[in-house]
Amino acid sequence: MTRYIMTADLRRCIGCQTCTAACRQTNATPPGVQWRQVLDIESGEFPDVHRSFVPVGCQHCGDPPCLHVCPTTATYQRDDGLVEVDYDKCIGCGYCAVACPYQARHITHRVAFAYGGEPMASESARFDARRMSVATKCTFCMDRIDAARENGQTPGVDPEVTPACVNSCIAGVLSFGDREDPNSNVSQLLSATQHFRMHEELGTDPGFYYIWDKK
Amino acid sequence: MRIMPWHQSNWDARAAGNFIGGGSGTGLLIFAALVALLNGSPADYRWQAVVALIFIAAGLLCVLAEIGRPFRALNVFLHPQTSWMTREAMVAPLLFGSGAIAAWQNGGTFSAIAALFALGYLYCQARMLAAAKGIPAWREPKLIPLLISTGLVEGAGLATLLAALSSGVAPRWLAGALLAALILRRLSWKMYHAALEQQGAPKQTLEVLARFGVRFSTYGQSIPEMLIVAALFIGSELVWLLPLAGAAAAFSGWALKFTIVARAAYNQGYALPVLPIRGQGQPIPGVKPGWSK
Amino acid sequence: MAAEVRKVPQYCYQCVAGPDLLTVKVEDGVATEVEPNFAAANVHPGAGKCCVKAYGLIQKTYSPNRLASPMKRSNPNKGRNEDPGFVAISWDEAFEIIGAKMKEIRAKGLKNEEGYPRAAASFGGGGIPTYYMGTFPAFLSAWGPVDFSFGSGQGVSCTHSEHLYGELWHRAFTVCPDTPSCNYVLSFGANVEASGGVVGAWRHGVARERGMKRVQFEPHLSITGAASAEWVPIKPKTDAAFLFSLIHVLLHEMPREALDLHFLKQHTGSPYLIGPNGFYLRDPETRKPLLWDLTRRAAVAFDTPDSDPALEGSFTVDALEIGADGQEWRHRGLICETGFGKLITRIKAYTPDWAEKTCDIKSGTVRRIAAEYVAHAQVGATVEIDGETLPYRPVSIQFGRTVNNGWGAYECCWARTLLACLIGGLEVPGGTLGTTVRLNRPATTRQASVKINEDGFMYYPMNPTDKAHWKASPAVRNAHATMVPLSANSPWSTALGPTHFSWMFQKESPENWPRVTPPDIWFCYRTNPSISFWDTKEIVKRIAEFPFIVAFAYSYDETNHMADILLPECTDFESTQLIRIGGSKFIEQFWDHEGFALRQPAVKPQGDTRDFTEIATELAVRAGLLEKYNEAINRGAAGVSLNNGKYDFALDTKQRHAVDTIWDRACRAASAELSEGREDDGLAWYKEHGLRTRPISRLSWYLFPELKKQGIRFEMPFQERLYRVGLELGNRLHEQGIKWWDVQLEEYGGLPTVMDFPGIWEKETIKQAGAGALKDYPFWLITSRSMQYAWGSNVGIQLMDEVADNLRGHKGVVINSQKARELGIEAGDLLEIHSYVGTTQGPAVLSQGIRSDTLLMMGQFDHWATPYAKDMKAPSMNSLIPMSMALTDSTGSAADLVRAGIRRVRA
Repeated sequence: MTRYIMTADLRRCIGCQTCTAACRQTNATPPGVQWRQVLDIESGEFPDVHRSFVPVGCQHCGDPPCLHVCPTTATYQRDDGLVEVDYDKCIGCGYCAVACPYQARHITHRVAFAYGGEPMASESARFDARRMSVATKCTFCMDRIDAARENGQTPGVDPEVTPACVNSCIAGVLSFGDREDPNSNVSQLLSATQHFRMHEELGTDPGFYYIWDKK
Repeated sequence: MRIMPWHQSNWDARAAGNFIGGGSGTGLLIFAALVALLNGSPADYRWQAVVALIFIAAGLLCVLAEIGRPFRALNVFLHPQTSWMTREAMVAPLLFGSGAIAAWQNGGTFSAIAALFALGYLYCQARMLAAAKGIPAWREPKLIPLLISTGLVEGAGLATLLAALSSGVAPRWLAGALLAALILRRLSWKMYHAALEQQGAPKQTLEVLARFGVRFSTYGQSIPEMLIVAALFIGSELVWLLPLAGAAAAFSGWALKFTIVARAAYNQGYALPVLPIRGQGQPIPGVKPGWSK
Repeated sequence: MAAEVRKVPQYCYQCVAGPDLLTVKVEDGVATEVEPNFAAANVHPGAGKCCVKAYGLIQKTYSPNRLASPMKRSNPNKGRNEDPGFVAISWDEAFEIIGAKMKEIRAKGLKNEEGYPRAAASFGGGGIPTYYMGTFPAFLSAWGPVDFSFGSGQGVSCTHSEHLYGELWHRAFTVCPDTPSCNYVLSFGANVEASGGVVGAWRHGVARERGMKRVQFEPHLSITGAASAEWVPIKPKTDAAFLFSLIHVLLHEMPREALDLHFLKQHTGSPYLIGPNGFYLRDPETRKPLLWDLTRRAAVAFDTPDSDPALEGSFTVDALEIGADGQEWRHRGLICETGFGKLITRIKAYTPDWAEKTCDIKSGTVRRIAAEYVAHAQVGATVEIDGETLPYRPVSIQFGRTVNNGWGAYECCWARTLLACLIGGLEVPGGTLGTTVRLNRPATTRQASVKINEDGFMYYPMNPTDKAHWKASPAVRNAHATMVPLSANSPWSTALGPTHFSWMFQKESPENWPRVTPPDIWFCYRTNPSISFWDTKEIVKRIAEFPFIVAFAYSYDETNHMADILLPECTDFESTQLIRIGGSKFIEQFWDHEGFALRQPAVKPQGDTRDFTEIATELAVRAGLLEKYNEAINRGAAGVSLNNGKYDFALDTKQRHAVDTIWDRACRAASAELSEGREDDGLAWYKEHGLRTRPISRLSWYLFPELKKQGIRFEMPFQERLYRVGLELGNRLHEQGIKWWDVQLEEYGGLPTVMDFPGIWEKETIKQAGAGALKDYPFWLITSRSMQYAWGSNVGIQLMDEVADNLRGHKGVVINSQKARELGIEAGDLLEIHSYVGTTQGPAVLSQGIRSDTLLMMGQFDHWATPYAKDMKAPSMNSLIPMSMALTDSTGSAADLVRAGIRRVRA
C-alpha cells in the first residue's frame, strides 16, 4: 500500500509564500484561489509573543469528510491516498467545502484574471473552463504522481514528480513521500521528529504532518 | 489572510431555504397526515399536503439555485453509500410521489406513507448538516434532535395555522402536540447550545447563537408555549391564540435554521496544539485562534 | 495539452540576495511556470531554489501595464501634477532624439561649468540592475565621466555603515554569520528571513533545525524575530547601547580568560600603545607602532617576532606620536597604556543597569546573553577546513538596516567587530564574516584585496584628507570623495557617499559649498527614487528640474513621470545576459562553487521592446562611441574579459555586433576562464545548460587565514586611523569655511562612545516642529523588509500583492494592540500617519508583537503613477522621513526612522 503524505517542518517555515506562488502558477488557479497558502499566526501577549508560519491546504485525509458528504462521487480517494475531484462530475453544491475542517476547498463562480477582465497570454494558455463553479483544491500535483507511476520515479525525491510547493520551498519546510514505506524520506523524517496533525481529533486522519521539534 | 474562523461562504440563505422548506414541509406533511388519520377528517389534508410539498420543492429549488452546475444536478444521486445529500435527494421523489398520491386521494394510506418519507427526509436533512465536519455549529450531534424537533414544531405550527385558515379549528390534541414539540425543541436547543459551549466553538458562533438564543427563547418558545397553554387551559374563547402560536413556532424555526446555516456557521479555522521550537527552547503551548476554548 | 513544452534556464537577480537559478516552462511559446533549476541544486547554497519574487516574472512578462513601445513626452512642464502626455514613437525617433542630445552634450564638454559630469545615471540598489542591463555598463564606460550620485534609497535603506566600516575592518561590504557552522547569533534588526533571499532562508532553516540559537533584538516581532529562539523588543536606536553593555560584561564582569587572549594579542591592535594625544606610540626610527613585550619587558615594534604583547597595564616608554597633518610629538619616559587598556576604561560606564534604562531591556537579560555568547564561542576550539586548521568560534552578531545606518550605526559596527575579536571569532569558521568587497580592489576575491599597511593593519583606499590631495572641488554632486574618506574610490564609491546631498544641494547649497546643478542628461533604470528615497515630495520636485531624462521603463512610474523619453527594454525572460555566480556575494551567499549563469530569451518580446544590449549598442553608435564601447566590452564590461592573455575572443572594435555575437563571445570567454583555456563553449551551450561552475575551497569564505599569512592584524579596538582622518578632514573643511559638518566630524575618534542616539531624532523633531512636538509625534515609526517586495521593482505584480497579503502588515501600519485599544483604534481603521515632513494613510494592523511606542510600515507603497500599485492605497514612510543634514552621520547615511503621530480618519 501507498499513502502519500506531506510534512511541514514548522521550525523552518518563514511564511515566504513561495509555495503559495508556485502552486498558484503550476496549477493555474485564479487570483485569490490558493490551494496552498502559509498562515501567519500571532499568539501570546507583549512581550511574550510568538508568530508561527503554517502551510495549509488539503490534507488528503485518510478519512476525508469531503469524500463522505459528496453526493456525486466527484470527490474520490485513490489507492495512494490522494483525495481528488472529478471536475466533470462535480455539481458545485459546496457540501464538501463546508465538510472540510481545513478550509481547503474553493469554488469560483466568476472568471477572474490578474489584471482585470482580459486574460494575459499565460492565463489564456492555462485557462480551464471545467474548473468554473466546481470544487477545486490541492491535488498534491496529481499529474506528477501519475507520471511517477509511469516512469518509475519517486515522488518527493525526483523533482519532476514532486508537488510544486515542495519543489519550490526555499527553507526546506515541505517534504512529500510515502508514509507506508518506512524507508521513505517522510517516514525517516517523522521517525526522527516530534509532530502533530491539525484537527486530528476530528477523526480525519489527515495526510499532512507538522513537525515542531526533534525527538 | 484569515486565521480565525470565518463564516463559511458556500451555503447562504438559499441553503437555509432548503432546510426551512424541507423542515416545515415535512413537518406539515407529518401533522397533516396525523390529523387526517387520527381525526378521520381529511377535509384539510389535500391542500395542506400540497402546501407541504410546495415548501419542500421550494427548498429544493433554493438548492438548485445555489449549486454551481445545476445542469448536472442529477449527479446528486450517485453517492447513497455515505452522502446524506444523496439520501435526501433519493427520498425526495418517494416523498413527492407518495405525497402527490396522498393529496390526490386526500389522505388515506398514502398519507401515512408520505408522512414516513417526510420523517425520513427530515432526518436526512438533520444528518446532512451534522455531517459537515468543517462547521463546528453544524457537526455537533445534538443539532440532529434540534433540527428534527424544529421540523416537527414548524409542521405542527403550520398545521395549526392552516387549520385555522380553513376549517377554523385545529384538533385540541394538535395544540398539545405543538406544545410538546415546542418543549422538545426547547430542550434540544438548550442541549445543543450547552454542548457547543462546553466543548468549545468559534467565539463568533457562540456570540451569534447567544444573541439569537435570547430572542428565540422568548419569541420562538415562551410566547407560543404560553399562548397554547392559555388557549388550552384558560378558556375556549382564547382558541384564536393557537394559530398565532403556530405561526410564531414556525417562524422561529425558520429563524433558527437561517441563523444556524447562514449566521452562526463559522468554520473550523486553524489550530496548533504546540508551537515550533526555533533553534532552542522549551515547548510553547499551542494556539487555537478565535475559539472559546 | 501544449504541443511544444520547453524548460528554459534563467536567473533571477531582483534583489541583492540573488542570484536564484531557475527554469521557466514555455508551452507553445508562452511562459507559464517558474521552477527552481534542479540542475543547480548541488552547486547553489540555497539548494537551487528560487525566491517568491521569481514567480512573479511571468505576470511581469505579460502584464497589460507594460509599455509596448518607446514614448516621447509632449508636455514640456514636469512635476507630479503635470500630465507628461507621453506619445508612442518609433525606436528610430527615440534614438534620434537621444543621439542629438548626446552629441550636443559631448560637443559642450563632458563636465559642466561647476565641474560636474553632464551625464548622470541612477540604478536601483545594490548594483542589481547591472544584471539586467546587458552591455549598458560598456556604454557608460565609453561615455566618460558619469555622475552616479543621485541616490534612490542608498544611505537610508541600505546597511550603509556596515558597508564602509565592514570593508575597513574585515573586507565586509556586508556582514554575515558563518551560518552553516554557527551555533549562536545575536541579530539586531537583521531580517534575514525576509532580506536574505533563498540562501539566507535555506541556511538559517538548516541551522535552526540543527539547534542554532538566534536572539532577535528588534522593536517589533519580524519574520526573523518570529523564527528566532528569543525576541527582545529593544527600544529603537539603542542597539549600540546594548552592545556596549555586552562588552562591559565581557570586560568587567567575566574573568579575562573567558576571552580569546591569544587572538587579541596576536591578531588585533589591542596591544598597541596609545599616546596622550590619541595616536599610536611609535618607534621613532622605524615609525612603527609599539607594543609592550612581556618577554623583553620593553616596548617593541608591533611586528617584532616572538614578542608576547601585554594586553593591559601601565608602561613607561620613549616614543614618537604622529598626529593629523604630519604633527608629531616626541615622548620620553611617558607612562602609557594599550589600546585594550583604553577600551576597558572607556567601556566601564556601560553597565547592564545603564543598558536597562537606555534600551528597555532587563540587566539580567544583558548578563545572560553575554554569558551565552561567551559559552557558545568555545574559545580555544579549532576545526580543519581543506587541510588547514582554523579557530572555530560558532557565535556571531548581525545587523539589519536602521541599526547599521545613520547615527549610532558606527558604534554598532565597531561593537560587533570588537565582540567578535574578544572571543577570536572574526573571519573564522562559525564566526562573523564579511561577504564581498565593493570598495576595495581588486574585487575578484576578498583575499585578493588584502594588503598590509605600514601599521600592520589592512590597507584601505581612504580618500585623501591631507592638504595636498584632498578634493576640495567635488567631482560628483554628492561629494563622496570630499566628505567621506571611507567611501574610497572604487566604481561603487559614488553610491556610498551621502547620496541625498545631490538632491539636497541642488535645492540649496550649504554655506561655502559650490553650486550644484542638475545633469544635462539623466539615465535611470530599475529605480524609482520618487518612491524609494526619503522625503519623496522633495525628490519629485528636484527630478522635475532635470532637463532631459531617459528612462528605461517597464511601465509608467513616479520617476519616469518626469522623463523625456521612455525606452521599454525586453524584460527578464526576453533578453540575454551572462553573469558571474558563486564565490561569496552579498548577505548569505557563500558558495562552494564559482562560475557563470545565463539569462536568455525564453519567449518572444512583448510589444516593440528591445534587448538592453541592442539598445546600448545603438546608443554607443549614436553617440559616436562604438569603438570605445566595444573596447569596454573586450575589457570585461559585460562581466567577463574577452581577452585575458590566455584566450582571445575579443570583438572587432570597429564593427557593430549583434546581441548574440556579443554574448557568444562572453560565454566562450567564461568557458575558457573556468577551464583554464581548455574549453570555449559558447552561447548555444549556455542556453541549453544555463550555468557552468567549478568547485572552490571553502577556505575562501574566511579572511583570517589570509591575514595570518600576511601577518596582518584586525584594526580593533582603537581607531587611530579614523581619528587622524577625521581631524584632517575637519582641518580641510574649516579651511574652506565649512562648519556644517562639525557634528559629523565628532564621530571620528579613537574609541567610540554611546550617545543618546534616539535623542538626535527627538531633538531634530523639536527643532523642526517646535517645543512639545514629541507629544504630537509620540511614536517611533520604523520599517521592515518584505521578501515578497524586497527592492520593490515588482510592486505592480498582482501575484506578489496577493501572496504578500498572507502576511501581517504589508499594506497597513502595525500598532501595538494594547496601545490601539487605549487610543480607540480597531483593526482596519484608516489611520493618517504624520511626521513633520508629511502624511500618509493606511489601515491599522493590530499586533501584540510590537512595542507600544513604535509603529511599523513594511511596504513603502504610496505610488501614484505605477499601474496596479497606485490602487493599493498603502502607506509609505518614505514620505515622512526628513532629508536632513542633522540626521546624517559622518559616513553620509541616515536611518529610515522618524517620530510620528497618528490620527484615526475613519473606522
